[in-house]
Amino acid sequence: MGDEKLAKNIAYHDLVRMIYQQEDFDFVGVALQDDTSWRKIHWRYAAGNTSQRFRKIILRSGIGIAGLVIRTGEPFAENDLAHHQYAGYMSQPITMIEHLTSAVAIPIFDQNQLVIGVLLAGYRHQQTITAHSGHVLQEYLQRFQ
Amino acid sequence: MLESVSWVEKNFNETPDAIFIFRDDQLLVSNHAAQTLQADYELSTAYITKLMNSVVRQQHSDTNDCFNCVVLDMAKTAIPFTLPVKNGHPLSFFLVYSELDTAQNVYSLTLKSNDLMQRVDQLAQQRKLVQYVNRAHEEERKRLSQDLHDSIAQGVYSSIMGVRHLETTVSQADPEAFARQTKLIESQLYATLQEIKGMALDIRPSVLDSFGLSAALKALAKRLEENTGIDITVVARDTAELKLSEDVQTVLYRIAQEAMTNAIKHAEANEINLFLVAHEHEISLEVIDDGSGFDVKQHVSFNGHSLGLLNMNERVKSLHGTFQIKSEKGSGTTVTATFPIA
Repeated sequence: MGDEKLAKNIAYHDLVRMIYQQEDFDFVGVALQDDTSWRKIHWRYAAGNTSQRFRKIILRSGIGIAGLVIRTGEPFAENDLAHHQYAGYMSQPITMIEHLTSAVAIPIFDQNQLVIGVLLAGYRHQQTITAHSGHVLQEYLQRFQ
Repeated sequence: MLESVSWVEKNFNETPDAIFIFRDDQLLVSNHAAQTLQADYELSTAYITKLMNSVVRQQHSDTNDCFNCVVLDMAKTAIPFTLPVKNGHPLSFFLVYSELDTAQNVYSLTLKSNDLMQRVDQLAQQRKLVQYVNRAHEEERKRLSQDLHDSIAQGVYSSIMGVRHLETTVSQADPEAFARQTKLIESQLYATLQEIKGMALDIRPSVLDSFGLSAALKALAKRLEENTGIDITVVARDTAELKLSEDVQTVLYRIAQEAMTNAIKHAEANEINLFLVAHEHEISLEVIDDGSGFDVKQHVSFNGHSLGLLNMNERVKSLHGTFQIKSEKGSGTTVTATFPIA
């Protein structure tokens, strides 16, 4: 792993840990798209996770929370994940594995304004996501970049 | 009038259920079926009246919880009754009691063949199963259509938009934006391609046809693992040399699929183990999960949820295999299927 990549790694790690510590979210995670030709999307960094199962997930572009955010480049917020259109293991594995009841997700862009990943934060006990939650994440991400 | 009486009499005599009509303990009339039964199997009328009387009396006593309750009044008293047959399988019946004249204490006892009733049950079950299979088909189509629309159509659409955008970068002579845009389109197309391949695998695993069952099961496990994050281990032993018929392979694959999906969806399993083992004369598939488990007895009769299991059972039976589910609340589920091999 090159120095630049390693630095990026540590930086993302610090980012999720910082958000987890400073805000009241129960779970914070970052999913990134590979730059190999297959462009698989994995959850790479997480804080507040209950197990390591999130590492096994490979996301489907266009489906699920992160999939939608990556496909559209638009933020996503949902307060009733259990009854969402895509509820269920196949399409929202991260919310099932981490038992999230509400979540907010925003796209991560590279310097060329291409979507390369998702920053997601969520609650386990019915706390509500507001427009403010999205702004908070956005601020952290801006400072990070 | 006389004619219609003879019709009724004829019907009474020809019905397959044995009917006896008693006053007190004296047999008044019985139909053909009843007489044959009496003659062939030494059925004693004293025995069935005694049997019935004790049950009826018990039901009409004050100590019965259901004394005077509406359901009892509506339901006819029926008790299971087995008739021993010399050198043969005992016949099982339902003895149905109906009052004809309370004042004179005239009543009829009808012996309904249990086998017949079971067959009626089986028919009803079959019908439900067909309905279930049809609904499952429709659900599958719905899911596919949704996937096509949400994932693949969207992917193609955004690629088209990307190409349009490409034209503007050319007209603006911006090589950097052009390079960025081509990269974006490429990545979108790759993601779409991946999605198409995934869907093709969901519909019918080509691996099954070209590389055999164990490879297909491993591919399936890998895909489910990627989608859900659950640990799935596949162990295949001595199956490489095996020549299984296409039907058996497909059924084993579908059982593994259904069992794993059940474990993921309903049992919230953390770990699934799948064993495919070839023995001397049979091949067995075992799917073991550590999920919440369920009460098998409750799910054996139909209640809507269990039809998937029933369907698996039917598919296995049609290919001369055996199928078994072991589960207890709180201690996971084991699904086993075995097929004979030459």
